[in-house]
Amino acid sequence: MYKRLLRRLLGWTLALDVWVNRVYPADFNPLYYTGGLSNLFLTILVLSGIFLFFYYVPSFNDAYTSVQFITAEVPYGQIIRGIHRYAADGFIIAILLHFFRNWFTERFRFSRDEPWISGMMLLVFAGFIGVTGYVLVWDQRSALLVAMTGNSLASIPLVGGWLRSALFGGTGLTNLLLPRMLYLHIGPAVFLYILLWWHYVRIRHPKVWPPAVWTLFALGIVMLLAGVLPVTSQPPASALSTPGRLAVDWFFLLPYVGLKYLPPLGLILVGAVIVAYGLYIPYQLPETETELGIRDSGVAQVIDANCTGCELCYYDCPYDAIVMVPSPHPGVTKAAQARKLLAVVLESRCVECGICIGACPFEALELPRYLERDIHEKVLSACRSET
Amino acid sequence: MTADARRPRIVGFLCDYAVSREGIVREDGTMRDLPNVTLIQVPCSGFVRPAWLEFALRNGAEGAFVCGCPLGDCFNRLGNNLIGDRVAQMRRRLERQKIHPDRVATIYHGLHEQAEFVAAVRAFSERVAALPGPVVPAPRTAAARPPASPTRSPGTGVTGGAPGPAAGPGAPPGEQEGG
Repeated sequence: MYKRLLRRLLGWTLALDVWVNRVYPADFNPLYYTGGLSNLFLTILVLSGIFLFFYYVPSFNDAYTSVQFITAEVPYGQIIRGIHRYAADGFIIAILLHFFRNWFTERFRFSRDEPWISGMMLLVFAGFIGVTGYVLVWDQRSALLVAMTGNSLASIPLVGGWLRSALFGGTGLTNLLLPRMLYLHIGPAVFLYILLWWHYVRIRHPKVWPPAVWTLFALGIVMLLAGVLPVTSQPPASALSTPGRLAVDWFFLLPYVGLKYLPPLGLILVGAVIVAYGLYIPYQLPETETELGIRDSGVAQVIDANCTGCELCYYDCPYDAIVMVPSPHPGVTKAAQARKLLAVVLESRCVECGICIGACPFEALELPRYLERDIHEKVLSACRSET
Repeated sequence: MTADARRPRIVGFLCDYAVSREGIVREDGTMRDLPNVTLIQVPCSGFVRPAWLEFALRNGAEGAFVCGCPLGDCFNRLGNNLIGDRVAQMRRRLERQKIHPDRVATIYHGLHEQAEFVAAVRAFSERVAALPGPVVPAPRTAAARPPASPTRSPGTGVTGGAPGPAAGPGAPPGEQEGG
């Protein structure tokens, strides 16, 4: 049942690809570059964020006015602020597209659980950074966010109160709140890059940047939005007036809408379950042997006698599963006798895709259960059969 | 009509993640609509050695192709781009051996694009059918002993490295006199 749903979602994802491929050539299909687009938006965010950091003052009295100063007085301040804001929305959209696409096309299989898990953490951190960013503006929405977050945290039994004072620097509104939010806005953003390293480390040739066309297009969209729909603050937060309703940014503040329908503890539990399930996705429903079929051909084996140490398989392996080591002894064939290096397959990373077999022109690699000999037999029987 | 009547024998390598085999492939691996085409399943299109395409051509197939996922959408990474490059490089090698390079091709279609895939294979089949001449140029001696070439060439195809030159100097002297 669940499996059938996933298969249907895979079908829809691929159908969407086909449809987009009709509009764009496959090289420019934005759905093939959701990860690169996320990285692009993150870069835009960091650069515009550094600009805003020079002018922002994290204190109750000056935070709101400093944001107003950026918007009204600083040259291009309005635009930069808009870029920071809309690039953040684009960041979340691209991350979610990336998430769902890789989920439905099962790109978490085998040794790809590490990119998946680091990706889940990136998603959680990105949401958290977005919320702290909304607090920094210190208008009425920010005050409301602080109150809602504080109340939700406080509803956790035992550790709730401690969590709230740890996050906000004491109960109620203290002078520590905004500096702490500023740190929690920037510190995790640095941590994102550590997670990104983990995200990329096992992948050869990761598509880190989208094609230039999409870089320009995304930049253009963000700047256009910043110009056409200028970002404004709500009235400043004050202890006297309590804001009635939350102006929702649907991409970051969606969980806070849930507070309308759920008790705070329930909402926190739902969030925790979603994240826990997300971390579990790569390990549920492992493919059975019949589903794997031909792809279950055993870890690629290097044929020592033939390997010439040419490194072609090392460059083409998609999972960095092949390392070149100094050759302990010469090979047997003429081409392999003068080799300096020898290819070694790391079994734990190999996913049995066979790309190294196609890369090797010296017949020094084989999948144990799908040998070159088997292919030759199949080709010969195909050629002998009556047409 | 004549193109339909002539059905060249074709071997295709089909990536397991690309076009679904359901409903388009018979038990013995030939395609339902195009019985002259045999599909061989491979775990990724990057798994295919270009030498295997040449091996098929030297053993009686008139055309050989590889089908992978749409470019940019390899389940692994760049497997379909890699095989595309390798086949492109292979065309030069085939030309040098007097084999028409249009006898090999790459096709890229996703899981549910069965209709497009069948259409592409049919177009490839018709293109191959229209190509002139024998697949592998007969060595000058082949006229004397026609059955010799199909049985001997598998060996040359397997060892890959340099089939033409290796087989050339060894065989001719005696046979040329016979021819």
